[in-house]
Amino acid sequence: MADVLTVLALLLVAVAATAAVAVRDPARQALVLAVLGLALAVLFTVLQAPDVALSQLAVGSALTPLLILLSVRKVRRRGQREDGGR
Amino acid sequence: MNGWLWTATVLLAVGFGPVVWAVATGPVGRRVVAQNFGTSAVCLVMLLLAQGYQRPSYTDLALVLAVLGPVGTLVYARLLADDLSPHPPHTNLLTAAAALATTAVVVAVCAATGPGRAMVKLLVTGALLVAGNVIASRAVSGGYRNAEATSHG
Amino acid sequence: MSRRLRMWVLAVGGLGVAALLAAAALRLPGFGGDDHPYGERAVEASLARRTSNTIASVNFDQRAFDTLGEETILFAAVLGTVVLLRQTRDERQVRPAPERVAAPVRRYALVMLPVALLTGLYVIAHGQLSPGGGFQGGVVVATALHLLYIGADYRALERIRPVGLYEVGDAAGEAAYLILGVAGLVGGSAFLANTLLPYGTFNTLASGGTVPLLNAAVGMEVACAVVVLLARFLDQAVEIERSTGSGNDRGE
Repeated sequence: MADVLTVLALLLVAVAATAAVAVRDPARQALVLAVLGLALAVLFTVLQAPDVALSQLAVGSALTPLLILLSVRKVRRRGQREDGGR
Repeated sequence: MNGWLWTATVLLAVGFGPVVWAVATGPVGRRVVAQNFGTSAVCLVMLLLAQGYQRPSYTDLALVLAVLGPVGTLVYARLLADDLSPHPPHTNLLTAAAALATTAVVVAVCAATGPGRAMVKLLVTGALLVAGNVIASRAVSGGYRNAEATSHG
Repeated sequence: MSRRLRMWVLAVGGLGVAALLAAAALRLPGFGGDDHPYGERAVEASLARRTSNTIASVNFDQRAFDTLGEETILFAAVLGTVVLLRQTRDERQVRPAPERVAAPVRRYALVMLPVALLTGLYVIAHGQLSPGGGFQGGVVVATALHLLYIGADYRALERIRPVGLYEVGDAAGEAAYLILGVAGLVGGSAFLANTLLPYGTFNTLASGGTVPLLNAAVGMEVACAVVVLLARFLDQAVEIERSTGSGNDRGE
């Protein structure tokens, strides 16, 4: 019974990771990625690796979304400008 | 496995399981709400795990998540404002549920810890989590009005 | 090489990797078993140097050279980003208009900025005692500064963020790690050896010899590197546009 927590965390990671691949729009993908990060952090903590979990939380909760969404905004802006110029 | 770990397991299944589903499907608004609620759920799971494993230092994870999780939601609310503003999601019920769950878990863990510096840290984590969740919900349902209209100026 | 031959090479290589992986997995110790030869040695060494967080002892003492490599990877990656995302000749800078942010969100961001900053510094300073350290804390510190972008706008962030200064800080953090390593060499033992300082009292802030100093160096490097990295991304996303027409506008 002691492995229930590990199995559940692994399951959540597997589902979230599959969803992150299956979702195609980058902005929505960033959201799934954030939740995948949370699931990974739980898995690392359950496996007694809190240092790794803390790295995951520090990078995954605000930094990665910001980098992805800024890139998305840049690409969209460029697209809009070029559409408007035509 | 002790009671704390069982509670963490149940919270992970009941609180975080639906989050994974909700973030993978549906409109952007619902996904951002799910991400915001996921922060609260996982933060509480971390507090319960720290108590369950008898490792007070694991509460640092909850503290960092309580600080950075809402910031992440604000990033989405800010940069996806044009996707969110046509149909701003209403989250009052979910926010109330998260606040209630946070209070319950923090009080229980505090009672088990006893007075001292560790308890102050737990209370700070809980307060940051509730405040962050409320503000992030507010931001998602219209905190950056017309942000897109002015940003191209 | 024909396409067919390439596929064969790929298949042979893939099968080899699969066979080795399967063989290695069969010899793995059982999940969650009691026998941890490496773990026991690492814990013993970290206790001898009075570092209560064994992971910090492994990262910054027993395998500090490894961490130097990791730190350098981040340094080089940020350097590459700075070069790639610079403003090119056919791009120009536009002033972003101020954003409208709801008052509670703005207040929250302003209150949370010092709180997050303090949390980051706490994580860096307690790296030798509890989970965390330079990398994690550095990222939290850098994220904290960007609350100004989220809670106000890019102009507010630019006022407190002279990028040049952070670039210097990035290099200084990297240099500090190297200098601490050389100090170990000069002090009579080996590069990055933890023999320079007294080990202190177990489970207090001043314990672990050079571990907290190396943590501080990494924290500075990571915080500055992330700020510089995000500055380039923000510049590109908010300010820099491809200029149409003459290309002789304001920018270089």
